[in-house]
Amino acid sequence: MAMDVVDYEIFGDDMQYVEIELDPGEAAVGEAGAMMMMQDGIEMDTVFGDGSSQQGGLFGKLLGAGKRLLTGESLFTTIFHNESKSKRRVAFAAPYPGKIIAVDLKEVGGTLICQKDSFLCAARGVSLGIAFNRKLGAGLFGGEGFIMQKLEGDGLVFVHAGGTLMSRDLQPGERVRVDTGCIVAFQPSVDFDIQYVGKLKSALFSGEGLFFATLTGPGRIWLQSLPFSRLANRIIASAPAVGGRRQGEGSVLGAFGDLLDGDN
Amino acid sequence: MHDIQGSGRLFGGSSGATGEDVRFSLAESLTVSGRDRIHTVPVGTLEIREVSNVALGLELSWNSGDTIYALQIFDAETLAAVRSHLGTLPQMQALQKRQRRAGIGRALGWTALIVFLLLPLLLILLFVWQADRIAAAAASRVPIEQEVRFGEQAFEGMRGSLQIVEEGPAYEAVRTLGERLTSGSKYRYRFLVAKDDTVNAFAVPGGIIVVHTGLIAATRRPEELAGVLAHEVQHVEQRHSLQAMIKNLGLRGLWALVSGDLGGGLIGRAAVELTSLSFSRAAEAQADEKGFDLLLDAGIDPRGMADFFAILGERDRSVSPPPFMSTHPASAAREAALRARLAAIEGRTFAPLELGPWPPTF
Repeated sequence: MAMDVVDYEIFGDDMQYVEIELDPGEAAVGEAGAMMMMQDGIEMDTVFGDGSSQQGGLFGKLLGAGKRLLTGESLFTTIFHNESKSKRRVAFAAPYPGKIIAVDLKEVGGTLICQKDSFLCAARGVSLGIAFNRKLGAGLFGGEGFIMQKLEGDGLVFVHAGGTLMSRDLQPGERVRVDTGCIVAFQPSVDFDIQYVGKLKSALFSGEGLFFATLTGPGRIWLQSLPFSRLANRIIASAPAVGGRRQGEGSVLGAFGDLLDGDN
Repeated sequence: MHDIQGSGRLFGGSSGATGEDVRFSLAESLTVSGRDRIHTVPVGTLEIREVSNVALGLELSWNSGDTIYALQIFDAETLAAVRSHLGTLPQMQALQKRQRRAGIGRALGWTALIVFLLLPLLLILLFVWQADRIAAAAASRVPIEQEVRFGEQAFEGMRGSLQIVEEGPAYEAVRTLGERLTSGSKYRYRFLVAKDDTVNAFAVPGGIIVVHTGLIAATRRPEELAGVLAHEVQHVEQRHSLQAMIKNLGLRGLWALVSGDLGGGLIGRAAVELTSLSFSRAAEAQADEKGFDLLLDAGIDPRGMADFFAILGERDRSVSPPPFMSTHPASAAREAALRARLAAIEGRTFAPLELGPWPPTF
C-alpha cells in the first residue's frame, strides 16, 4: 500500500504532542487513546489490528491483534482520515513526560525496531509487527525483553519515550554501551547485545546493574534518558502522602516545619 | 565460479550511517555501487560477521582508507548463495566455527532457562508422584505434642456442630473398648460419642476419636464396634490425618510458590480442611490391616470387624452410602485382604465381649 506523505509539527517541551496535517484523502493511524484534537472533516475509524490492511481473513486479523497484545499496544487502532476538501489537522499527545520523535522509515531502510509501547502514531500504511530478540542474553538482561516492536513501511512514524530522546549514528563497527532500559529504537542493522560490567565491585556498587546493553553499528539508534518507570519510581519514593521520603523541600522540624512554611 | 548478484544495504563513509540500498555482485571480488562511488574489494580482505539480532543476515565489511564500509545482506536466497560462495575463505570458516560454538552455548542457555521456568512444575509433579512417601517422612518428624495441638485446634473448630455425649451406656461401652485397644499407646486417647444418626466415626490427629450414635445403633455385637474403633485408632497411630494434612499443605505451598500467591492463610485453611479430610485408599487398607492386628493383640474377635464392613458394603450397594463408607471407599482388594486374614486365623476362639445389652442406649 502506498504511504501517505504527511506534514507534521511537534509542540511542547517535555510533555509534547504532535500535530499532523492531512491532505484530502490522506490518513494517519494512532495508538488507541492517543488522539488529542482533530479538526472538522476528519473522520475516525476504528479497526481491529494495525490498519495496514494486508492481513487477509479472520485468522490474519486475530494474529495481528495477538501481536499487538504482545507488544503492549491495544487491540484496536484508530484511523483518522481527512474526508474534507482541504487540509486538516489531527493531534496526538504523548502519554507521559518525554519526547516525540519523527522517523522517516524510508531513510532507515523500511524497518525500525523499537521498544514495546513506544509507538504513538504514523502515516497510514505503516504496519506494526513484532520483532523477536534472538539473543538470549539481550532478551533476558537487555532491559527490553524478548519482544520488541517492528514498524515497517516507508512513511513517517512517531515514536515516544521518556526524558530526552536522542538519536545517534553508529558507523560500521562503532559501539556504545547503554544503560539497560534506555534503548528506544534502532535500525535492524544494529547489533543489540549485552555485556557484563566487568568488575565485581562495579557490578555490586556502581548502580548500573550487572549488564550494559551494547549497540554496535552500522545504523542509527535512539536512546531515552529517563525510562518512565524510573521516573514513576522516584515520584512515588518521594511522595510523603504514601509514605515516601521528602526530597528537595521540608525542614528538620517535620510536619511542624511544614505548618510554618505554609506547604500544607 | 560464477557471479552472484544481489541486493543489500551499504553503510559507512559516503553511504551514511543509516545506509543505502545497493546492488552488488560477488565473484573473485565484491563489487558494490554506492551513492557516489563503486567499491571493488577482493574477497580475501573482507571481514565477515553474522547479524543475528532480529533477522538473520551476513555483514561483509572492509576498510577503504580510514573509513569502514559494511554491506548487510538479509535476503534468504542471496544469503545462501553468498555463504556457499565464501565458504572456502578462512574468515568464513572461523565464523562458522564461532557460530557452532555460539549455537551450543545458546542451546545450553535456553535449556537452563526452560528448566528454571519449569522447575516449580517439576517439583509439583515430583511431589504429587511421591506425595505419600514425602508426607509420611515429614509426618514422622512432627513431635506428638505438636500433633496433639493441631488435633485440639481442629476439634475445637468442629465441636460446635457436634452434640457430644459424655455419659451413658454407649459412651461407657466406647470408652471401655477404646481403652482396651489403646493401652500402652504413646497417645492419650479420648473416645467420644456424638449424637448423630449417620453411620460414621472419625479420628482427629492426636488421639480424639468420635463415634456417631448412628454407627453404634447399626452394630449387632460389641466386636463390630471394636472393629471400627481399631480401624480409627490405627488412623491415629499411623498418623494418617497428619500425613494428609502435610500433603495438602505441601501441595498448597508449592502451588503458592508457583503461582506467586504467598501468604493466603495456609495453615488456617488446612486446619479447616482437616474436618473434611479423606484418607487415601492405601491409608484405609493400612488402617484395616493394623486394626486387625490390634484386635488380635487385645484378644478381641476380628470377625466383628469384617462382619460390620460387610454390612456397610451391602448397605452401600442397596441405598445411598452412609458417610462413613463414602470416605472409606470399599474396594474388592480391601475385602479380599480381610478375608485372607480371617482365613489365617480359622479356628481360633476369642472370649466374647460382655458389655451389657447391645446395642447400648445413649
